[in-house]
Amino acid sequence: MTTLTKTEGAGSAPTGSDPFLSVRDLYVRFSTEDGTVKAVDGLSFDLERGRTLGIVGESGSGKSVTNLTVLGLHNPKTTQIAGEIVLDGQELIGARERTLETLRGNKMAMIFQDPLTALSPYYTVGRQIAEPYRKHRGVSRREAHLRAVEMLAKVGIPQPKLRVNDYPHQFSGGMRQRAMIAMALACDPDLLIADEPTTALDVTVQAQILDLLKDLQQEFGSAIVFITHDLGVISTMADDLLVMYAGRAVERGSVGEVLRSPQHPYTWGLLSSMPRLGSDVDKALTPIPGSPPSLLNPPSGCPFHPRCAFPEQVGGGRCATERPALPEGRGAACHLTAEQQRTVFIDQIKPRLG
Amino acid sequence: MKTDRSRQTRAIVVALAAGALVLTGCSGSGGDTTDKSAKRKDAARQQEPVKYADEAASTGPAAPVAGAEEGGVITGYMQSDFSHLDPGQIYVSDANQLGNLIHRGLTNFHSDKDGNLSIVGDIATDSGQSSDGGKTWTFKIKKGVKDEDGNVITSKDVRHSIERTYAKFIFDGPNYVQTWLSGDDYRKALPDGPYKGKHLPDSVLETPDDSTVVFHFKQARPDLPQALAMPGYSIVPEKQDTKEKYDKAPAALGPYKISEFKPGKSMTLVRNTNWDPKTDSVRHQYVDGYNFPLTVSIPSQTKRLLADQGEAKNALQFIDMVDTAQMSSVVTDKKAYARTVRGYQPYVWQMCFNLDSSEMKDKKIRDAITYAIPSASMVQADGGKYGGEVAGGLLAPTLPGFDPSYDPFGKVKKPAGDLEKAKQLLKEAGVKEGTKLTYAYSNTPRGQKQMVIVTDVLKKLGFDPQAKEIDRATFYEQIGKLDNPFDLYMTGWGQDWPSPSTVITPVYDGDLVGDGSPNYSHINDETVNKGIDEATALEPEAAAKKWEEIHHRIVEEINPCAPVYYSKTIQLYGSRIGGARYNMEASNIDINDVFIKNP
Amino acid sequence: MLPFLIRRLSGAVVIMFLIGAFTFFLFYSIPQDFAELACGKNCSPQNIAVIRENLGLDQPIAAQFRDFMMGIVAGRDFPQGHCPAPCLGVSFASGDMVWDSIIDRFPLTLSLTLGGLVVFLVVGLGAGLIAAWKRGTAVDKALSGASIVLSSFQIYLLGPIVLGLLVYSTGLMENPKYVSPFDSPGGWFLGMLIPWVVMATIFTAQYTRMSRSTMIEQLQEEHVRTARAKGMSRGYVFFRYAWRGSLIPIVTIIGIDLSSLLSGAVVTEFTFDLAGLGRLAVESSVNKDIPLTMGVMMFGAFFILMLNIIVDLAYAFIDPRVRLS
Repeated sequence: MTTLTKTEGAGSAPTGSDPFLSVRDLYVRFSTEDGTVKAVDGLSFDLERGRTLGIVGESGSGKSVTNLTVLGLHNPKTTQIAGEIVLDGQELIGARERTLETLRGNKMAMIFQDPLTALSPYYTVGRQIAEPYRKHRGVSRREAHLRAVEMLAKVGIPQPKLRVNDYPHQFSGGMRQRAMIAMALACDPDLLIADEPTTALDVTVQAQILDLLKDLQQEFGSAIVFITHDLGVISTMADDLLVMYAGRAVERGSVGEVLRSPQHPYTWGLLSSMPRLGSDVDKALTPIPGSPPSLLNPPSGCPFHPRCAFPEQVGGGRCATERPALPEGRGAACHLTAEQQRTVFIDQIKPRLG
Repeated sequence: MKTDRSRQTRAIVVALAAGALVLTGCSGSGGDTTDKSAKRKDAARQQEPVKYADEAASTGPAAPVAGAEEGGVITGYMQSDFSHLDPGQIYVSDANQLGNLIHRGLTNFHSDKDGNLSIVGDIATDSGQSSDGGKTWTFKIKKGVKDEDGNVITSKDVRHSIERTYAKFIFDGPNYVQTWLSGDDYRKALPDGPYKGKHLPDSVLETPDDSTVVFHFKQARPDLPQALAMPGYSIVPEKQDTKEKYDKAPAALGPYKISEFKPGKSMTLVRNTNWDPKTDSVRHQYVDGYNFPLTVSIPSQTKRLLADQGEAKNALQFIDMVDTAQMSSVVTDKKAYARTVRGYQPYVWQMCFNLDSSEMKDKKIRDAITYAIPSASMVQADGGKYGGEVAGGLLAPTLPGFDPSYDPFGKVKKPAGDLEKAKQLLKEAGVKEGTKLTYAYSNTPRGQKQMVIVTDVLKKLGFDPQAKEIDRATFYEQIGKLDNPFDLYMTGWGQDWPSPSTVITPVYDGDLVGDGSPNYSHINDETVNKGIDEATALEPEAAAKKWEEIHHRIVEEINPCAPVYYSKTIQLYGSRIGGARYNMEASNIDINDVFIKNP
Repeated sequence: MLPFLIRRLSGAVVIMFLIGAFTFFLFYSIPQDFAELACGKNCSPQNIAVIRENLGLDQPIAAQFRDFMMGIVAGRDFPQGHCPAPCLGVSFASGDMVWDSIIDRFPLTLSLTLGGLVVFLVVGLGAGLIAAWKRGTAVDKALSGASIVLSSFQIYLLGPIVLGLLVYSTGLMENPKYVSPFDSPGGWFLGMLIPWVVMATIFTAQYTRMSRSTMIEQLQEEHVRTARAKGMSRGYVFFRYAWRGSLIPIVTIIGIDLSSLLSGAVVTEFTFDLAGLGRLAVESSVNKDIPLTMGVMMFGAFFILMLNIIVDLAYAFIDPRVRLS
């Protein structure tokens, strides 16, 4: 893993003392045949124990990469990383692979998006749940097996003693996701990263899984990073929210703050493009114009400016030349003044949301 | 007819092992300027008719080979299986060579150290006594001749050996003696052979006592001692005869017997302790045994013997010729060249014209094509000067009476062909430009190369040549059909013993024209036919003149087949092989005289 | 599993019968007189009739077919002796029992195949795994490069080079030959070593490339990433997760290679002057020895069918989704 010298001073540390997970000025770059992809471009955030941080953004905004980087699952040969990731006082960037192995699945665990492809088809569900427990706790095969049964019961799989010997393909989609959660939680991790854990599931199962996660969080007291592009899901799950665009955090705040009074035009776009229960069915959804920027060659200034409707309100072409900083704590990385943001949101955006 | 089996099969393996050529990478004739190939003078040795030897010359043991030592095992490389082991089925060269080691007949060829050929008694006390003007032949059997299990061989075994060739399961061997005894439809005389208790009448084949056999023919058969020397008439002891199964496990009378035979893979011979050298004036038993791997391709044989490493030092090419692609390495490497035997084979390659085809009826046309054929190129397509030599006539240098100066079409003088003369003759014949001629050829590499040459020359003569490829497996059967649709084809011809009778009779006797007959040109000339009848009845010496007369008439007056080239061979052997020499009769390395140096 | 086996095996029997029938009529419908092919020099019409009778070709086709199929099931009698089931007839050219000829050649073919298999699996898969493990490094590039170079080699090119080096010029080794391992294990090993290595070299390259690419593909699978996310070590994930997934394509190719090698490695056999089924097949076809050609073909077909079943069983063993569906 190579360390990239810091190129920009954007993004400043939020307040709060001694957070459980602290990401500071994280830069992640992939070398590809076409050039260098700036997947994460100066990201900082903190997470306390027992809290849930939601990260939203379109695909390619850097949410998943950030979290794979936290776990150290990127390809070290093609990835350049700078910044720092501190978990419970331990620096993860530059840590030895062996150290990371003892943390993964133990102190920090991850739930993946598609439980069908994320579970190995060749081994039983029980074995896959028991594996990390055996490794990290050094228990016998039998104890690990019992733990797998226990975990399956905990995530609500009926007849866990029988189903523990099933293969993933014998499970339904929801059961597979439960099994994945059981696997992630087998070692009582302090940090749980859930990467769109409900996207592949239908709506009723989605709700069950979210409830399950919340219950388990209360029981285990884990910190959760919850990645999604679905603002509806995030409103029920998260305490705090980070909106990412083109590898950067563009808005930050508590869930209530961000969803009720969003400040960044991109967040407005996200909200406008999301259908809501109880909204007027005749009211058209407004997708964000344009498409996500290329991370090989991101736009200058504010990366959102090519898709943004308000650069003229800022004036002076600042949006295309000057990169807006994300203030500490609650705030958005936007050149619009707080006043402009409020006016535009109330006059133009809110009516659309209904 | 004796077809050249080894050359036919050679093509297959060469094609498969083509990759091996990459390493050797050069073509047949190299840069050597001196002609090291066998010269006509070698052949001239055999211009004397074969001598029929007396009892003294037929009594063993054989004269020792200078410097011969006892012991060791010789490896004889072969690229494919022996065609047959049952004497009755043996006709072609591979089995002939082996037959010399394991089988014995009434008579045998003996080639002295100068290469002079004579017929000696093998299990018979002499080469046979004729009476009644050559119609009756009497053979006495030597005492002490036994088979490998110690059974004494009697006249009954000789009779059995002849009679079993009348049975249907014997179909691949020679049939001279049978037809001489019982006529062309000889099988009817003894439909089940001797197996159901029936025998030929005493008036045909008589065994007055245990050591005497008498053959009675309707006409004089002066060649009988030579015919009986063919391995095809070797002895099959009555007690040992297993009919169809005999072809896999024959009982030996010769100095070696089969100890192990894995068809298609290998054969091992060991000393036959029941062979008594005192009864044999030809064979030796110097080595302890022979080992025949039956899967060594010709390029491999050549490469191994050239390298002369390990087992190859004790090895020889049993019947095959040096790989043409490696020929220059062999003849330019003095040490390797010293380890070769070279000589003429009995085959005469000739362009036969189908005399029943309307296009071929005019002799002028046949002569024209004969003049035009570029014989030298045809030789080049078959291994170059070590594989062949331009022919002037239709009788091979291996036959008595061979005349090296005989060259009526000037082929030897103008080996590239005489197109001027050919065109002139075609003009005289009034041949139309674009006349179609169908040339049939076998799909061997040689056949294909020669096809290019032949169609090219026919085009130059103004013909429209149609080349028709025939599967090598049935080539001779296809062109042997009387009503075949072809105008001309190349055939290879070989004597069965050193007498023109085994060439001129089967190939040019009009009485024998028919389906499957080797008279491929369908020549039927009364003068020739009559001459053949006369010559056949004459003693070898007297017959020689007559045969020459017939030969000249065939070539000059009728020209049914244009002479193209005489085939030759060159074989390599390992550095520890002693006594190696070429045996013209066997047309291979002389297998009776070889030994291992410092075994 | 048992019903599967029974179903597949009985299917194989039917297919073998159909192959037998099909090849029989295919060969015998060729407008060619086999007596002519078997006929040597005295090819007079009388002699051809004799040969036809000897070969049983004077019988109607239906009767010949019946005899042929009955022979396979129950054996039949020939003048050369009794031919026990499975009797594939008697060679036109040599008069040997076809079954005996095949069985006689089989030990060499089996030795060549299994020995070669061991070499090319160990070396080929090993090199592929190392390349995948060290992906992108100089080791990977060297192994991948070598495999591309080797895969463009041919046995008939490499064989003579190796023979030239080890046998002809230095005499370090003898020419390859087959000795029964039961007679002399050492002789067998030394005799087959050069063919094994040369044959395996060509296959090795293929297996190196394949195992490298399937491993790399598997290593990018999500379930492999999951295993890493659980804290399993790189080696554990490599062998337990990625390797397991790579087995299916590898087993498929092994099945195909084995069945073709067991029907005879023609080029290898001719390059090293060995007598196995490949040579038998080629020689029989060159000699138009139809019973032998058919016999070798059916023998090969048998292995193709059997290996198909074995490969399918292996799939079930490797992948529970196959086993349990």
